[in-house]
Amino acid sequence: MADPLIRLTGLHKRFIMGHETVHALAGVDADIARNTFSAVIGPSGSGKSTLLYLIGGLDRPTAGRIEVEGAALDDLDENQLAQYRRRMVGFVFQSFNLIASMTALENVMFPMRFRRASLKHRRERAQELLTLVGLADRAHHRPTELSGGQQQRVAIARALVNDPHLILADEPTGNLDSASGALVMQLLADLHRQGRTVLMVTHDPRLTRFASDTIRILDGRLVSAEEYEARANLALVETHLP
Amino acid sequence: MHFTDLFSLILDNLGRRKARVALTAIGVLIGTASVVVLVSLGIGLQRGATQLFGIADLTRIDVSPKYNFEGVPVVSSGLGGGGGGAVPTPVPITDQTIAAIEALPDVAAVIPRDWLQAQTILKAGRLEAGVGLIGVGAADLATMGVEVEQGTSVLEKGTLIIGAQIALNGFYDPKPRPGQGPPTPPELLDKQIVLTVIKYTQDGQEVRKNIPMRVAGITTQTGQEADWSVFISLDEATQINSWALGRRINRNKDGYPMLVVKAAEPDGVLDLRDRIVDLGYEASTYQQFLEPLNEYYLTQQVIFGGVGAISLLVAAIGIANTMTMAILERTREIGLMKAVGATNRDVLSVFLGEAAGIGFIGGLGGVAFGWAASQVVGVLSLVNLASQGGQGGFFGGPTVLAVETPVWLMAGSLIFATLVGLLSGLYPALRAATLVPVLALKYE
Ligand SMILES: Nc1ncnc2c1ncn2[C@@H]1O[C@H](COP(=O)(O)OP(=O)(O)OP(=O)(O)O)[C@@H](O)[C@H]1O
Ligand SMILES: [Mg+2]
Repeated sequence: MADPLIRLTGLHKRFIMGHETVHALAGVDADIARNTFSAVIGPSGSGKSTLLYLIGGLDRPTAGRIEVEGAALDDLDENQLAQYRRRMVGFVFQSFNLIASMTALENVMFPMRFRRASLKHRRERAQELLTLVGLADRAHHRPTELSGGQQQRVAIARALVNDPHLILADEPTGNLDSASGALVMQLLADLHRQGRTVLMVTHDPRLTRFASDTIRILDGRLVSAEEYEARANLALVETHLP
Repeated sequence: MHFTDLFSLILDNLGRRKARVALTAIGVLIGTASVVVLVSLGIGLQRGATQLFGIADLTRIDVSPKYNFEGVPVVSSGLGGGGGGAVPTPVPITDQTIAAIEALPDVAAVIPRDWLQAQTILKAGRLEAGVGLIGVGAADLATMGVEVEQGTSVLEKGTLIIGAQIALNGFYDPKPRPGQGPPTPPELLDKQIVLTVIKYTQDGQEVRKNIPMRVAGITTQTGQEADWSVFISLDEATQINSWALGRRINRNKDGYPMLVVKAAEPDGVLDLRDRIVDLGYEASTYQQFLEPLNEYYLTQQVIFGGVGAISLLVAAIGIANTMTMAILERTREIGLMKAVGATNRDVLSVFLGEAAGIGFIGGLGGVAFGWAASQVVGVLSLVNLASQGGQGGFFGGPTVLAVETPVWLMAGSLIFATLVGLLSGLYPALRAATLVPVLALKYE
C-alpha cells in the first residue's frame, strides 16, 4: 500500500479537570489513505471530535504522533500549524460557525483575508463556490436569513475556498433535518469523488453508507466492527436503563 | 496577513458594533478634549504673561565688568594664594574680550558701548534736552536690534540717532513764558542740532564745547531702553570722553563699560550667557526673567494636562472593558479565524487594531471638540473683557486670554489617544491571540 495521507501512532489526549483526568483518546493508531471518505462513528463522549481536531491541528496531543503527508504536526510551531490549517485543511462544524454580521459571500471570502489574493479573485472564487453548493442566489443573505441546511452549505463553500485537500467535518448534519442533511452529505460525497480526502464525525450509523471507510471509536480507542456492535449495543441498553 | 486586509477587517469589525464603539470612543473623546482644552488654556495664560515682555529682544545679552554688591570689582589678584589684601580690579572688557566672545558659538554680533562721561545738552533751535548719550561701536544700529522709524540706522561721525520718546517729549523750553504749555516737538530729522558738552576744571571753572551734529534717524518706539537714548558712534564718544577726561583713552586698559552681544537665535541664549559669565563678566538677558515664568507655566500645563490625562485613563479602562467583552462574545469567531489559518499574530493585530481604532476615533473627536471648546473659551474671555470696560489683564495692561491650540498639541493628543487605545487593548488582544482554537470553537 502507498504511504497513507495521515498516520496516527500511539495518540493520547488527556484532559485534566480538577482531580479527574479524562482520557479522551487512549492510544489511537490508524492510517488514513489519500482520497478516502472516512466516517468516524462512536457514542457521545467517545473522543470523535477530539480526534478530528487533533488531525486538523486545532489542538495538540498529550502523547503520540500525527503525520500528514509524511510531516509530523508535532514539529510545527504555532505559525507553521496555522499555515497547515490554511493550506491543507477545510473545517465544517456542526454549528456552522458563520459570522452573523457577514453575508454568505463575505463568510465564504473570510478565510482569504489571511492570505494574499486580489479582491476580484476573492469575489469570483466565493461566487463560484456558492454556485457549487447551489446558493448563487443567496450570496447577499445573512446567516439569519438562511435555513440551517443553507447555512451549512455556505460553511462548506467556506471550507473549500483555500482549496484544501483534507476536509474535516464534525457532525455536519447534526443540526439539520434529513432532507437538508442528505444534501450536505451529497456535497461531501462529491468532494470525495473529485479527489479530496474527507473525514467526517457522526453518531448516525446510517450515514456510513456515503463513506468509503468507517472508523469506530469507543472510550478513546479504535475498535473493530464486531467489538463495536457488541459494546455499542450494550452501551445503548445501559443508557436506556432507568 | 497583509496590511490592507488587516485594516479592512478592523474597519469591518468596528463597523459591526457601531453603538458600542461610539459609546467607548466618547470616553476617549472627553479625555482628549479635556487635555486639549486645559493645555490650550495653559498655553494661553503663558502667552498672556510673556506678552508683557512684548517686544523684548530675546537674542540680546548685556555684558559688563563684574562688580560685587558693594560696587567693588571682584577679581583674583592674579598672584595666586588667595591674594591677601590686594585691591581687586575688575576684568576689563577689552578688544580681546570682544574677540573671545565673538569666537563663542551662535554669536551674531558683539557691539561695544560707551557713554559720555560729562554733562551734555542737546539744542534744537530754542529748545533743549538733557540726555545721556551712548556711543555704539557698530556701523548700523540694526545689528544691536534697534530699528528706526524715520531716517537711517547707520551711524557716522557727526550724526546722531534720537530715541522715539526723546524726539516726542524730551525737548523743553529753557526760558518758558508764564502760562505757556509744553512746546511742540521740534522738527529733527536731517536737521543740524548742537551737542553741548560741559566739563569742569580743577578750580571749578566750567568749560563748554559745542559740537554741531546732524540727526540721521529717529528710532521706532518699543518701550525699551532705546526710546529714551541718543546714539552716536563709538569713535565720537571716545573723542568726547578724551576731551572731558583730559587724557587719551586706552581701551586695552580702561576697557569698554559695556558690550551688547547678539545671539543668532533666541534658543541657547541662556547657555551663551553662562559661557560669558565663565569668562569672568557680568551678563544678563531678558530670558533670565522669562525662564522662571516659563517654568511656572510649564508646571501649570503639566498639572492641567495631568487632569485631562486622568479622564483619558478612565477612558482607557472603558476600552479595556469593551475589548474584553468583545473577546468573550467573539470567542467562537476567534476560534474560526484560527481554524481558517489566522496566525496568533493575525489575531493579536486585529484586536489591537480595533482597540487603537477606538482610541483614534475618540481622539479625533476629542481634538475637534477640544479645539472648538478652546475657541469658545477664547471668545467668552473677550466678551468678559469687553463687559469689564477693557480693564482685564493681570498686570494692569489690557490682556486678552489668548487660548491657543497649537498643531503639536492636536497631533500629540491624537497620537496619545491612539496609544491609550492600543495599550488598553494589549491584554485582551493577547488573551485572544493565545486562545486554544478548540476551546474557542466550543465556547458557548
Ligand atoms: N476541553 C476539554 N476539557 C475536558 N474534557 C474534555 C474537553 N474536551 C473533551 N473532553 C472530554 O473528552 C471526551 C471526548 O470528548 P469529544 O468531544 O471528543 O467526544 P465526542 O465523541 O465528540 O462526543 P459527541 O458525540 O458528544 O460530540 C469527553 O469525555 C469529554 O468530556
Ligand atoms: Mg463531538
